[in-house]
Amino acid sequence: MTVISPTHGWRGRLLHVDLSAGTSRAEEIPGDLLRAYLGGRGLGVRLLRDSYTIDPFHPGMPLVFAVGPLCGTAAPTAARLAVVSRSPLTGTVSDCSAGGRFAYRLKAAGFDALRIVGKSPRPVALAITPEGAEVLPADGLWSRTVGETVTALSGRGSVAAIGPAGENGVLFASIMMGEGNAVGRGGLGAVMGAKNLKAVTVDGDRPTGVADAGRFDRARRDVMRLFQASPVIFGELGIAAYGTPALVDLMRQRRMAPTENFRKTVFDGSGNYSGPAIRKGYGAKNDGCFACPIQCKKSARDGRHLPEYETVSHFGALNGIADLHAIVRSNDQCNDLGMDTISAAATLAAWGECRGRFPSPEDVERLLDEIGHRRGDGELLALGSRRVAESFGKPGLSMSVKSLELPAYDPRGAYGMALAYCTSNRGGCHLRAYPISHEILRKPVATDRFSFSGKARIIKLAEDANAAVDSLVACKFSFFGATLEEYAELLSATTGEASTPQSLKEIGERIYLTERFYNCANGFDAKDDGLPGRFFREPGSSGEGIEVPPIDRARFDEELQKYYRIRGLSASGTFADPDFLSRQP
Amino acid sequence: MRDQIAKYAERLLADRSAAPGGVAFAAQDDVLIAEGEPGLARLAGDVLASLSCLGLCAALPALPFAEFLVRRAGPGESRIVPRDTETRTFLHDIPFLRREELSTDPAARIARLLGNRKGVIAEGIGIVANGAVTVEQAYINYSSVFHAAFVKYLLDLLNDGFLLPGEEEAFREFRARWLKPLSAAGLAFRAGPLEHPEEVLDEVAAVGRYTVGRGLVDSFFGNISYRIGDVIYISQTAASLDELPGRIDPVPSDNSSTTGITASSELLAHRRIYEAGRARAILHGHPKFTVAMSMLCEETGCQVTDCWRDCDRVRYLADTPVVAGEIGAGGLAKRVPPVIAGPGKAIVYGHGVFTTGRTGFAEAFEAMVDVENRCREDYFRRLTTAGR
Repeated sequence: MTVISPTHGWRGRLLHVDLSAGTSRAEEIPGDLLRAYLGGRGLGVRLLRDSYTIDPFHPGMPLVFAVGPLCGTAAPTAARLAVVSRSPLTGTVSDCSAGGRFAYRLKAAGFDALRIVGKSPRPVALAITPEGAEVLPADGLWSRTVGETVTALSGRGSVAAIGPAGENGVLFASIMMGEGNAVGRGGLGAVMGAKNLKAVTVDGDRPTGVADAGRFDRARRDVMRLFQASPVIFGELGIAAYGTPALVDLMRQRRMAPTENFRKTVFDGSGNYSGPAIRKGYGAKNDGCFACPIQCKKSARDGRHLPEYETVSHFGALNGIADLHAIVRSNDQCNDLGMDTISAAATLAAWGECRGRFPSPEDVERLLDEIGHRRGDGELLALGSRRVAESFGKPGLSMSVKSLELPAYDPRGAYGMALAYCTSNRGGCHLRAYPISHEILRKPVATDRFSFSGKARIIKLAEDANAAVDSLVACKFSFFGATLEEYAELLSATTGEASTPQSLKEIGERIYLTERFYNCANGFDAKDDGLPGRFFREPGSSGEGIEVPPIDRARFDEELQKYYRIRGLSASGTFADPDFLSRQP
Repeated sequence: MRDQIAKYAERLLADRSAAPGGVAFAAQDDVLIAEGEPGLARLAGDVLASLSCLGLCAALPALPFAEFLVRRAGPGESRIVPRDTETRTFLHDIPFLRREELSTDPAARIARLLGNRKGVIAEGIGIVANGAVTVEQAYINYSSVFHAAFVKYLLDLLNDGFLLPGEEEAFREFRARWLKPLSAAGLAFRAGPLEHPEEVLDEVAAVGRYTVGRGLVDSFFGNISYRIGDVIYISQTAASLDELPGRIDPVPSDNSSTTGITASSELLAHRRIYEAGRARAILHGHPKFTVAMSMLCEETGCQVTDCWRDCDRVRYLADTPVVAGEIGAGGLAKRVPPVIAGPGKAIVYGHGVFTTGRTGFAEAFEAMVDVENRCREDYFRRLTTAGR
């Protein structure tokens, strides 16, 4: 075991909390583990090593909040954390990255990670300070909305809280940061709720030093120069100007905006909730993550958080709704109830198609409330689209992979995305490999979106790189401009230990394969790495010179097998080496 | 993969950055393939096998400038730091390996450097560049290293003269054989003003091809646009100017749509140039002599240390204004429009040239050719004056 400097990058400590026993203790994290897994997603995944087969709602299942070595420094977009556990929605290992001040303050409290196990006999909140954890009674907060909870705890630093959805075991419940950032995907809010943990607050003031300030400043300037050179980031039509809804018009133009539960790929009303429309309707002032120069998250003039691209598109096109105000209201509801907007909207769309009628804006308002409180139709809808579709005897109408509802990029319009939805370790997610970056946004270079050629290797490389990014932890949007080259330099300057893009990608590969191993141990294999049949049978909405045919299943299968070979997996997507995990640090 | 390798191997020869018979690429999908000159292909495959990248290019440059830079470097130096914008923004620096360092296991040594940078100069071998995601990226990175080495060598010669045996002869050979007379002769331009989008798309694509064909830009750099009324038709980001069909974004001036999020990083500069003058067409390239000459500043006692970003002076190369300003939102869009309206041309420090046309692209293209020719002449005059 080697020692790390507790002042440069890593702290070298985690806080372990046992809610069953009501105890906590600080533990040293070996330097070798931090070097091998960085922090964030990687560290969280490593900390599940002894518990990855436990049921997500079992008290023994850890819920890990982990920051990265760049958190607390001036590295752009790095004041983030990952929350890691096993998803009750998918059964896979699950992590979710979020901004806000919580990550920064957790690091400032002196910890790289917070690991919570057990189940409190009654509702509680955790208050974390440099001295450790205090367990606070939270009976009075139970059943409160996220907003009410954050307000009640605002004197204790930054807050991460669940809403009624997390308390009630909604399988896609989120954990919300007090600043409005969501740990959205995978239902980790329900894991928190199962522990009777309403909220966590963190406060601290310990600075994070960097080993070589001059080198760090040079690397930071390099990153900022690349941000400024990126039209997607700082272009006048980019996400800094319009937030991620800048993608609405583009996805419409590329004819890959999922519409009416993916029956179509163009929605005529999408202009009502485009980036410019939101700006016109709500002002869209900057309200982005702490210490982020991009500021893609926007809020309305009255301070309400405005929805992201995925949210507007899924509460919009996916449900056939063109009313911006209704969409913003749905976003508000999900944030207050503590629910993932993507899964909530996609579950409603699947339900709508199963019943033969998509919900109206008024229906959506009622149904979201019923989901959050698990009453009426919400009792079924709280289980996510797969279980909803199965209950109707129409499993093919759940547009999900591994039970995680697909986001707002139709895979018939981007074949790398089609493959990446399936190989993602947390289910149908766009962010694991993020091929939209090159297939649509032309960063770092453009690839042919209607071709599988080379995509297996590209997806593998991107999954590894992004696993490292999620472990630093930095925002994926940084990489519309910068590369791992500049972030490796930031890491080297921070820790004083040499890091390169190549070494980061190798770390990312270790993290990815560890996750895959966990999933395989829980029964996942090639049968789970498939897209809904619709995408192979039905075309998208062709027109304007763009053909959107069904995906060629044989070609997809061929590329998936290539992917397995590149990963060193068997043809069934499993590990030939049962000792893989034991050989990892 | 093989079609990509063939395409970019051809491009290296077409743009005369690599020596015929001295090109190899490697790419890995589920299997690793390496094609081209057998020795280089073997090396490319060996290097790529130990990198987390998809593609790799190893080629012998058509000019010995990169090799000379390595040999001119002082003992103990291990990288060159060209000052052009492509290097400053994307490459940062270019590591090199000397011949003696490559005597054992060259692939491993090259791979170690490429694990941290996009391109490396290997003395006696050539330029080796990786492509993280595509084969094209390996070509782009090779091209950027070639461009950066070219520009740096020009400047180093002005400062230090010929230092190595055979260097002067090689440079003379370069001037006599590699450097072609530059003109717009033989190119057909629509007269303009153009009023129909189809015409504009065709013309922009044609002029993009001319710009690459005449060596006024390298790999996927440069951009081009035309304005009809309130719509700017502009090349997309990361688009090679000779492959523009289907890669031109119509961008409305009122920002009522954000489909132009994929437009060139210089969209804002183009828009401000249109707003500031009477231009209908804008062309932006990175001609090498202009890039080099833009960095020859004879100011004395200047306090500015970041010339690319902070210099607020307007200098002149002949009658062409030179201003500072970084790419995209980095200041170029603020400094170019005020100076380009009159002369229809402006140089950006260490970066390249913007030229405009009042009706069509002929004026813009000829202006760019003229700027580069004047910079060439001025360069060789200075070289002679310096006794080189």
